[in-house]
Amino acid sequence: MERNGVKTLFWFGILLVGTACVFLLNVGLGSVNITGSDIVRVFADELFGQSGVKDNAHLIIWQLRLPRAMAGLACGAALAISGLLLQTFFENPIVEPYVLGVSSGSSLFVALVTMGGFTFGVRQVTPLFRFTGAFIGAMLVMAVVLLAAARVKNVVTLLIVGLMAGYICSAAASILSAFAEREQIAGYAIWSMGTFSGFTWQHLPVLYGIVTVSLVLACLLAKPLNALQMGDRYAASMGVNVRAVRCAIILVSSVLSAAVTAFAGPVSFIGLAVPHICRILFHTSDSRILLPAAMLGGALMAGLCDFAARTIVSPAELPLGAITAVIGAPVVVFLLTRKDKL
Amino acid sequence: MSEILRTVRLDVGYEGKAVISGVEIEALRGQTICLIGPNGAGKSTILRTLSGMLAPVEGTVYIKGEDLRTVKISALSRTMAVVLTEKRNMDMTTAYEVAAMGRMPYTGFFGRLEEADHRIIRECMSVVGAAGLAKREYHSLSDGEKQKVMIARALAQEPELMILDEPTSHLDIRHKVEVVGILSRMAKERGMTVILALHDVDLAVKGCQYALLVRDGEIAAQGRPEDIVQENTITDLYQINGASYNALLGCMELHNNNPISAFVSAGAGRGTPVYRALSRMGIGTATGILFENDVDCCIARSMQLKAVVQKPFTPIGEEQIAEAAGLIRQCRYAIDSGFPAGPYCQASLDLLREAKQVFTFRKPEECRGLYGSASVCFVDSIARLQRELEA
Repeated sequence: MERNGVKTLFWFGILLVGTACVFLLNVGLGSVNITGSDIVRVFADELFGQSGVKDNAHLIIWQLRLPRAMAGLACGAALAISGLLLQTFFENPIVEPYVLGVSSGSSLFVALVTMGGFTFGVRQVTPLFRFTGAFIGAMLVMAVVLLAAARVKNVVTLLIVGLMAGYICSAAASILSAFAEREQIAGYAIWSMGTFSGFTWQHLPVLYGIVTVSLVLACLLAKPLNALQMGDRYAASMGVNVRAVRCAIILVSSVLSAAVTAFAGPVSFIGLAVPHICRILFHTSDSRILLPAAMLGGALMAGLCDFAARTIVSPAELPLGAITAVIGAPVVVFLLTRKDKL
Repeated sequence: MSEILRTVRLDVGYEGKAVISGVEIEALRGQTICLIGPNGAGKSTILRTLSGMLAPVEGTVYIKGEDLRTVKISALSRTMAVVLTEKRNMDMTTAYEVAAMGRMPYTGFFGRLEEADHRIIRECMSVVGAAGLAKREYHSLSDGEKQKVMIARALAQEPELMILDEPTSHLDIRHKVEVVGILSRMAKERGMTVILALHDVDLAVKGCQYALLVRDGEIAAQGRPEDIVQENTITDLYQINGASYNALLGCMELHNNNPISAFVSAGAGRGTPVYRALSRMGIGTATGILFENDVDCCIARSMQLKAVVQKPFTPIGEEQIAEAAGLIRQCRYAIDSGFPAGPYCQASLDLLREAKQVFTFRKPEECRGLYGSASVCFVDSIARLQRELEA
């Protein structure tokens, strides 16, 4: 698949530089003004352990902004790849974890774990426990959607099934919250709008561990993903073990989506918009290019959205879900209106 | 010649129910084998079973002597390639990239194409006449071009056996002929075995070495196309009414059973266009005097025209002349198709004097005294003839 190599490199360069810039912006800018030299000092402190002064700047940079920015990178990449995998799986360009209701399934189980877990005597909700709950929820909704997809091939029907699954999960979660304690509800409400603010140094290793392994697995699927674009039969005739690849896609995309949802809440549309933007930028449907492109693109997009959420009405904060929806929903409408291309 | 594919007491179908029973196929290297039959007869079901996409209901498919069920999918992909009827909308993908997919069985884990792979892809594209399409977006190609690219992709798999389901449907006549031509050339030159389902009986008979007629849950006949495709085979197979398949010429002719009102004096193929025109206009036609070895005679029989015929290479007999004269007198007019007026068909020319009116394709200077007292109208084309007849 010889593409215009220069163009591909150019866009990879842009995405890489863009992601780096957004990361720096997210660390450097915020409602509290912190100078560049202070930031350098905080990093030097942490990395080389020099002065040991733990002032306000240190707290904000090291405990708030840096984990948040790093979480944004991983979550963005994870969502974009999850979306890309699902789009190939369903041969349908308008699916992603959020649209299919997979995120909502995760949300419900996270709600169960965080609000209900206490009632059932689980005192401490570890990050891994939270993730496991999210993963079970994701797989359950995925099973429902797969059953529906086996019956109807229609693009819109699939969307509606996902939407309904999402509604049911949200309803169940709100019923749960009726029994929960006040602080838990407040925490759940913020989380359910989607936010990267909840990440601490305790969460990051879990998030990065899960996401890195899944992304590597996704990359290993590049060749069969290309074959699947021609349909199962052709893929099989070209030596692809279709069933195994399909299982792998479901597993990897669910894990990715669950990992994000467990900690950042349901973040909409990044998984949908980013793969499409990458297809258009790189003008290819070759997974070997799209996978890394979507990772970078997702990280960049998530970083940008989080930056917007933090700064637009600073010092107050907008919900991340609102920003991503404003960007993502028009993409869905755009894709639906050119349905002949689906 | 060695065997590539063989089926033993094969029943094919879905969910344990046999659609077609007793499929016995033996495909040799370099053979083109064609399944002919009406829509829904089960051609696709057979092909799917042969290619391993569908498990046999009963019996076994052997690929190079090995049970298809035990052949590894990766090994199979280097032996067999398929071209299916399903159409994919491959956005943002060039024709070259689609053809390059065919190299997947040979490329490494990430599907990186080596120079040798590129050479094979380019060669396969040029073999099917799609070299010029390489840079085009796949979805922007016409149906015929897409099909060629899909065949190039299958060829890039360097298969020993290619299975194609209706590769010519939705294609225009040029692409139909090209596709069948490419396949039979590949069979001859590369020793590749081709098994395909075709709608076009015509192409199937001419392009394939072996044919199977599929009908009513069974293989109705199989063998060399010339041996199994006869006058009635095709009309029976497709249950066609009102038309006949001419096995000798390999064409379909519509029957003309209207009450006879025109007599066409024909021969040497001059009559055929006139027959067809009259048939379209719904004018019942008699014709003569035709030698049995004349192509007009062949067509007239397929069209079920009333024809006065004479044994080949013999002078026209009195009996035939009398019969033809009777027909001409009975008809409202005669049409002289302008057949070459040799000594043996003088009788046919003389007969035209009996006609009430003659439409002739001959030039006026040829016709002096030819038609006696009949009123003569000169026509130079079918369109003109039609106008005159309608007037």
